[in-house]
Amino acid sequence: MLSRLRHFVRLQESGLLAVIFALGALLTAFSGTVRTPVFALGPDGARQRVFITNAAGERIPAVEERNKFFNAQNLAQLAKDTSFTAIMAVGMCVVIISGGIDLSVGAIFALASVLGALAFHHFGPEGTAAGASPWLGVALGALVCLGTATACGLLNGTLIVALRVHPFIITLGAMAILRGVAFVVTKGQSVGGFPPLFRDLVRKETSGGLSLVPLGVMVFVTIAGWLFLSRLAAGRRVYAIGGNELASRFSGIRVERVKLGVYLISGLAAGTAALLALGYYGSASSGDGQGYELNVIAAAVVGGASLTGGRGTALGAVLGALVIQMISSGIVILGIDQNYSQIIIGAVVIAAVVLDNFNTWLARRRLARAAR
Amino acid sequence: MQRFFTLLLAASLALVARAAETRPLTLGLVAKSQGNPVFQAARMGAEDAARELSAKNNLVIKIDWRTPNEEDAQKQAEAIEQLVLAGADGIAVSCSDANKLTDAINRAVDNGVPVATFDSDAPASKRFVTYGIDDFECGRQTMEELAKTMGGKGVVAVLAGNQNAPNLQNRVRGVRAAAKKYPGLTIRDVYYHKETPQDAVARIEQVMQANPDITGWAFIGGWPLFTEHALNWQPGTVQCVSVDALPAQLQYIRSGHVPVLLAQQCYQWGHRSVELLVDKIVFKKDPPAVKEVSALIPVTKANVEAYAANWTKWLPQ
Repeated sequence: MLSRLRHFVRLQESGLLAVIFALGALLTAFSGTVRTPVFALGPDGARQRVFITNAAGERIPAVEERNKFFNAQNLAQLAKDTSFTAIMAVGMCVVIISGGIDLSVGAIFALASVLGALAFHHFGPEGTAAGASPWLGVALGALVCLGTATACGLLNGTLIVALRVHPFIITLGAMAILRGVAFVVTKGQSVGGFPPLFRDLVRKETSGGLSLVPLGVMVFVTIAGWLFLSRLAAGRRVYAIGGNELASRFSGIRVERVKLGVYLISGLAAGTAALLALGYYGSASSGDGQGYELNVIAAAVVGGASLTGGRGTALGAVLGALVIQMISSGIVILGIDQNYSQIIIGAVVIAAVVLDNFNTWLARRRLARAAR
Repeated sequence: MQRFFTLLLAASLALVARAAETRPLTLGLVAKSQGNPVFQAARMGAEDAARELSAKNNLVIKIDWRTPNEEDAQKQAEAIEQLVLAGADGIAVSCSDANKLTDAINRAVDNGVPVATFDSDAPASKRFVTYGIDDFECGRQTMEELAKTMGGKGVVAVLAGNQNAPNLQNRVRGVRAAAKKYPGLTIRDVYYHKETPQDAVARIEQVMQANPDITGWAFIGGWPLFTEHALNWQPGTVQCVSVDALPAQLQYIRSGHVPVLLAQQCYQWGHRSVELLVDKIVFKKDPPAVKEVSALIPVTKANVEAYAANWTKWLPQ
């Protein structure tokens, strides 16, 4: 038991987990209760509201009182709201570990969304291929969405490697270009009307009315990111070039190939989030994902990724996104003026980085003492 | 002992009853973006309505303002979902993207939370009412006012923003329909542009360079007038009528460049939405029609100062 506790404390993300538990406890304690309608499965398998007869003989909808924060609906909602940023944060974390930055993730999200949306619309009820197999429509739409995002990531990587220009500049330029393309393609219009099968797949609900697909995808991406970064040689190379690019080059690592790979991963992650958002919200426009790059970078940094490279984890990035979303949702639940949310989130990002630096300094001092 | 418990029970019941009595009616307000003055006015309208109706009906009405910093339909959908989970009794929303918000609105309604839309509707959703202008009528009125100031003759250009926005297309149709009534008026063309003040001003300058015979402009959105010195001609030489009457636009009335602005009732977006929601939730009263049209208010030199005074009340000081 004690060794397990020690292992937990040594975990790089233990601090974040402690913050999440503390935030959860605080929100549960102070959020109060909410009265929500009661649903039950009807004879046709669909969820229906439950009605009761009151003392006056009126038929009224049944309601139950629940804690505002600690209830299944709210936790599923929290997971869903976190998932889009968290999935992109895993990709961003890989880029940041390599010592790079990707400012174009929001624009990649937008372009992948609108091109995917056009493909889905083509196979949707009002599309020209409405009669085709719905599974074909879903597969092709997903392929277009993920393929576009991956190609954008690959393009970023290629330009960074070939032109030897700082990723900040390349991805800043890509951000404008890709959003411009999204605008030109859609002429500023929202694209909807997807095959119902696609929306049913992403919005699939449990019998309790919980939509858990975004959570499932987020968990899958986190595990994939963790496996890549900690169990595969390719992932260790990312840490190596982020820690010391020159040393990595001399030790035989193909730095350019690794860099190409990390931007591809970042693009793919943005595409995955875009696909999920398409299925959940059912439309896309060129304005989607505006400003997401900053949220995603903030999540990775709060999660322990060092902007100087060489440090960070996939789990940390996801937990960072969760902390930010918990604060944001907590502000709604506690009924605090939303204008404070930006201030609070900004303060948390700075505090996280300062704490992380302090932690690193402590660890170095401990190592130095041990070496003496 | 029994008396003590009876008293305790009575006291508890009184407390519960009082708590039930004072439980606030929480109405979520989700506008398109925080920075836009029209939505700040809507917020002020909603808060004023909440105060007035609270006093009138012995209620405690609370406005929960959940608006993204920038236009972001996904954030709006999340805000609606969060408001439902946080126990909001009703929601008013101005939709950035009707497609994206339809599911969130429907889900709120399925959970027993009535939703009203204002300014920008989600027609395929289960919202019980929508409050805003009639876009065709808006275009028609813009052209009527312009024709009046031009004496029914001259060459007109129409500034129309994004050519694919359905509401703007309806306004252009209204402009064309009204222009048919004036044989002396010719519409040179409808000019589209990116919806920023700078792009709008640049487009006006290009058009005026190429068509110096234009004597009137119909702005079906107020984009160029959000900047200073947008109109590069002497007042009165080219007539101009514009939709919206934001504080930055009023200077053009004072300078004489624009004889008429047609103000959308943005304060009412919030005020009326709260009234409709309270009627629905508290008094179980549905509006007579799903679409409630708000009229455009002409702002001229005669009433510009009175209208400007509204903005000092509507915007946070």
